[in-house]
Amino acid sequence: MEYEWMVRYTPQREWIEGQGVLLWLAFFFSEIGAGIYFVSLFLNFKAGWLVGWLVTLVLGGLIHLGFLGHPMRSWRILLKPASSELSRGLWVIFLFGVIGFFQILPVVFSGLPWTGESSTMSTIMGILCILIITHGFLTMNVVRALPLWNSSMIIPVSLVSGIWVGSQTAELMLKISGQELYMSELWSRWSLLSYMAVLFVYLWGTYHASDTAKESIKRLLIGDSAVRFYIGVLVIGIIIPLIITLVVWGNGFEELSGGVLFIRFVCVLIGDLTMRYSIMKSAIYTPII
Amino acid sequence: MSAQQEKIWEDVWVNTTCGGCYCGCGVRVRRINGVPVKIEGIPGSTMGGENGGVCGKGAAGIMYYHDPNRVTKPLRRTNPEKGIGVDPKWKEISWDEALEEIAERMKKIIADDPHKVLLTNQTQRASDGPHNHLYFYGAAVGQHANGCFIIGGGSLHCGNAAHMMGGLIHGAWSIAPDWRYTKYVLKFGSSKGTGSGHSAMTNARLRAQAMERGIKEVVFDPMCNFAGGKATEWIPILPGTDSALALAMANYILNELQVYDAQYLKAKTNLPYLIGPAGTYVRDKDSGKPLIFDEKEKKIKECDAPVQNYGDYALGGEFEVNGEKCRPAFMSLKEHLKQFGMGWASDITTVPAETIKRIAEEWVENAQIGSTITIEGKTYPYRPVAAVTFRGAQGHSNGIHQVAAIDLLCELVGAEDVPGGTLGWPSIRRKYPGGNYERKTIVGPDGVIVPGVFYSHIPWPPHKPKVPCKDIGCVDFWPHATLSHIPYVKERDEIWKKLGVTAKPEMLFGIACNFIVSNCDWQATVDFFKGLFVVQMDVWVNETDQAIADIVLPDVTWLEKDCWSSEIDAYFFSGSPSYEDWYCHMQKAVAEPVGECRFFMDVYLEVANRAGFRDKYNEIVNQYYSIEDEDLKFKPGEQPTWAEMGERVLKWVYGEDADKVKEQGYATWHKPIEDVYWRWEINSRVPVYMEFLIRARNEVERVCREVDMDLDYEQYTPNASWFSPTTYKELDDEYNMIAYSYRDVLHTNNTTFQNPMIDEVSKLCPYTYTVTMNTDVAKQKGFEDGNMVWIENRYGTREKGRIKTLEGQHPKTVGIAGQGGLWADMRPIAKGKGSNFCKILPTYLRHYDPVTGNIETSVAVKVYRAKD
Amino acid sequence: MARFGMVIDLRKCIGCWSCTVSCKEEHFLPRGMFWNRVLISESGKYPAVKKEMYPVLCNHCKEAACVDVCPTGATNKREDGIVVVDADKCTGCRYCLIACPYQQRTPYKDDKVEWFPGQGFTQFEILGRTLYPLQKGTMTKCNFCAERIDEGQKRGLKPGVDNDATPACVISCPVNARIFGDLDDPSSKVSGLIKVRKGFQLHPELGTDPSVYYIN
Repeated sequence: MEYEWMVRYTPQREWIEGQGVLLWLAFFFSEIGAGIYFVSLFLNFKAGWLVGWLVTLVLGGLIHLGFLGHPMRSWRILLKPASSELSRGLWVIFLFGVIGFFQILPVVFSGLPWTGESSTMSTIMGILCILIITHGFLTMNVVRALPLWNSSMIIPVSLVSGIWVGSQTAELMLKISGQELYMSELWSRWSLLSYMAVLFVYLWGTYHASDTAKESIKRLLIGDSAVRFYIGVLVIGIIIPLIITLVVWGNGFEELSGGVLFIRFVCVLIGDLTMRYSIMKSAIYTPII
Repeated sequence: MSAQQEKIWEDVWVNTTCGGCYCGCGVRVRRINGVPVKIEGIPGSTMGGENGGVCGKGAAGIMYYHDPNRVTKPLRRTNPEKGIGVDPKWKEISWDEALEEIAERMKKIIADDPHKVLLTNQTQRASDGPHNHLYFYGAAVGQHANGCFIIGGGSLHCGNAAHMMGGLIHGAWSIAPDWRYTKYVLKFGSSKGTGSGHSAMTNARLRAQAMERGIKEVVFDPMCNFAGGKATEWIPILPGTDSALALAMANYILNELQVYDAQYLKAKTNLPYLIGPAGTYVRDKDSGKPLIFDEKEKKIKECDAPVQNYGDYALGGEFEVNGEKCRPAFMSLKEHLKQFGMGWASDITTVPAETIKRIAEEWVENAQIGSTITIEGKTYPYRPVAAVTFRGAQGHSNGIHQVAAIDLLCELVGAEDVPGGTLGWPSIRRKYPGGNYERKTIVGPDGVIVPGVFYSHIPWPPHKPKVPCKDIGCVDFWPHATLSHIPYVKERDEIWKKLGVTAKPEMLFGIACNFIVSNCDWQATVDFFKGLFVVQMDVWVNETDQAIADIVLPDVTWLEKDCWSSEIDAYFFSGSPSYEDWYCHMQKAVAEPVGECRFFMDVYLEVANRAGFRDKYNEIVNQYYSIEDEDLKFKPGEQPTWAEMGERVLKWVYGEDADKVKEQGYATWHKPIEDVYWRWEINSRVPVYMEFLIRARNEVERVCREVDMDLDYEQYTPNASWFSPTTYKELDDEYNMIAYSYRDVLHTNNTTFQNPMIDEVSKLCPYTYTVTMNTDVAKQKGFEDGNMVWIENRYGTREKGRIKTLEGQHPKTVGIAGQGGLWADMRPIAKGKGSNFCKILPTYLRHYDPVTGNIETSVAVKVYRAKD
Repeated sequence: MARFGMVIDLRKCIGCWSCTVSCKEEHFLPRGMFWNRVLISESGKYPAVKKEMYPVLCNHCKEAACVDVCPTGATNKREDGIVVVDADKCTGCRYCLIACPYQQRTPYKDDKVEWFPGQGFTQFEILGRTLYPLQKGTMTKCNFCAERIDEGQKRGLKPGVDNDATPACVISCPVNARIFGDLDDPSSKVSGLIKVRKGFQLHPELGTDPSVYYIN
């Protein structure tokens, strides 16, 4: 009802409905691209660098542009890094693009005078990856008007989930290229457990933060978003991957077939997308009166 | 406006009068490159809002002009079948063809009997006057009273009882608190000062200033919305029971507190008049004047005999005149009131007895009986309490007693037409300096005021109810019906037969009147009117046009209208009741008429010319404005256009300033304080004791017995009394809720529903397009906000609506704003918006106030879920 | 330099929607776009109920969240405290809208919206597009009628005192419930009202320091 606007709790719509759905996808792709890159840095999995770089810039970037009302003016977003999180984000992506380009170039073209494996470059890229992974939620986090986003626990959720998705992607690619999975599976185990922990802390902490935050969490867990949350985030995003991970943990790597890995990968993607969607969708403003 | 200057070849403001509701505030319209783009108030005029203020629906007025759905050519129905849901199969015709047919028909009909032509006296567009000229038109045709006028727009829900009593008490159509000096205001079912009622924005402006001063406003209303929501204290009350509360308050004040303004009662009311055992006045044998007892001289005197001190008039005692025992009417009132106890009133109204008692005490305390105030060197009694009512409280089958009881509160403490009290307006019109036109009240028979400015069916002196009735309004029989209700009554055929009406109407010539959907049961109305040759001048094809019109003529909106008389007479409720300058606005055309649209007055005049009654009309206009200048008079054979008439009338009214006033679009001139509290200056008396009703009753009862007509003539009784509205007799376990309607600040009748700017904001308001119900009651019934429900009366008529629950609503009631639920195909914005309350009003004679003809505007209903 | 602000007297406001409609006419806003609104609700339980009615518009916050988050500087605060959007710089990211706790911004997305749906543009709409063009894909909001203020001041008029230098909604209010002026000037009417009648802001806890105050 239009007359309930800002008289009752009013959900944010612009960043999730209509054209706003693109921002959700854009944040997601930027994040998983950076996640892939980040995990691949540790695993020294160079194909992952390229894939991560492309996913972040091409998929994430293009969808971001599609979201804007005036994409041709997007360069202007670089103008206010001192005050705007969005501006800082674009700078990070810009730097990620440029430095990543030089790191990846030797992967594609042999015979260049550098290898891209310099620890300085990897450290810089690692930091940039973390910033990109957290960028979406960081952008949302500064919005004080939406307590669901303004929760301090949202950044760890963002970071861990990014790494968790990234690790799955990287691990799948390792499997496809026939490489050793031991390290990557360790990454997966601990990022999944961390993800579960931070998500729980986020929900619990936010619920107790304010009335509006409580209402948001209620919508997420027992309201309009509940079915989506339980099926997408909980069952597909957490329980199925957890079962797979635990089985592998108990039985050893022989269980880790390509098919199983793929299933877990898909589940994690769906889980992450749903988690982001639910959080974006359930954010509500405190009524004005 | 970040206007790109080079693209603008014109940017002007035109002063005119708003046509968004009947209040007609002064507004100026911005026209850029020939296009009306914005409406504001006029800072230099106090007619309307503060310093250039205008209400939302007024501001939205530009959209009427821009509406692509307007009728721009005359239309004729080609489908002979009429009715709701029937396609009229419109065909465009030429103006000449239309006018010729109308004039020919009219000529023939009025030659037979002029009462066979019906006119409309309120437009759907409400304030789009001139309104008084339509009465001149009726008279020019040969009609003797207002019984041939069909009520549209504001419909029967308007204030028959309020207007009648306003006329009797204040010589005025309307009442308002004296915002400038009052301290304490009681409102009963009225939104004066909070968006509706006459001079709405003038009152709103004055009220806002009063609120800033810190007045207390107590509102009795079923709903905490427009009036209640802004009040200092909202007290929920059941619809139509206000009189019970007021009577209990009056009883408490008079018989327990025994505090009242004796000086006022003696000087300004008929309560000292001596009455005999039958309740009628004891009159002087020779002069026929009522008598009083002068206590000082110990002598019976004529009521208007000169006295040094009003205090000499006796309010008590028993006397004998011509061998007949008599006593002052005050004694009768005092005794009569004793039956109305607090507990009794509380049971009826649901207002706790302690609350009623507290309000009565506050009322008396704030009245400051005995105090005086000196304004501009003149000293008046100072009574800073005002009790006002309008459509909500008076629109019931006990309407007259509702108004009389509420008025009684003011009378007892002397708070009428004195600083701080309840003021009536418009009562008089003072002439413009150097001009000529003035209207004043006079003191009529029995000392009661004869209004000088009154819209319809002047209330004093009342004529004797008589039969046979000349017209279908039967106003001959109902002397106190300001506007007639009979054409809408289910038993009308029988009533006409019994009351000897022979003028069966053949034609209706109306202006945008949407009476099919705005009065009561739609089908009952269609059944009667579809047999007539119906011509309407309208901006759109409204519901009435679609159902029954034969010819629709394209009318201009107020933005294209050149109307010199709009407010010239202080006639239609734009005036200020308060102590501020006189003002008078006209309507100036802001834009050229769209398509072939013509202003309805030009059309009326053209038909008068063609049908041969123009001379008579001219004569009436001369008389009305008392034009004495031979050069300016309208002579036989002359056929000036409306604008040409204006040139002459304005010269008469404004003298040498006529051109200046016309150019400016309005005039303001000083209002002396004596023009505000004029009633204190004249020797008139309020008929608090409604003795005339005893006399009327004798006739009414006699006729009813003779013709075997069932009318509740018990209400023809002199003291304000309690009569339960018909609704309460129709309440039972099944029809267990009371539906009522109220005026939304955004809407005027149903015109406004077609304005997309108003439509847009209507959706932002929780109540405008919804049906409201108390939160707990809705919960018990299993309703939630947004559910669709049926509201059905016990006669099988129902209306659909969307529920909005609110705490601020009497649990027994269901509220519907305005006149939505529309269906005219050529008004797509309006179509389907809101709900229509009028259609669920049952319309048997028992649903009408037997004295004033008010329809009962609450109805017993059952409410149940409909498909969403 | 002035800091323009507004005081809204809730006791006077009758909820007539003049501010909402006048604003739309002043700026030729299309159907569905509001820079001014009236929020209506109620508090309490029957029968002790109070109707709550708040006219709302951009608060032109001193610490404006929208200005902070705007990545391009399109949303900026003028020296006189008015928060405006430079449509030429706006990318349409809607971050400002998301950040505004009062939700007082409307993106202009669809330039095909008609006042009379499906019936074409009226002369009013056609003229409006010339005189007050909005850019599709950019953010719009109340600008305290900055054009009126600027034009008026150029002519030596005083905002809040002279109609031609005062926001349209303030002038149009029929009950004078809206008062405009300089919050930094202690002698202005707005400053006086805020002080004497204890003006309050909406959601002061968010630290935005709105320039629109309410009195009751």
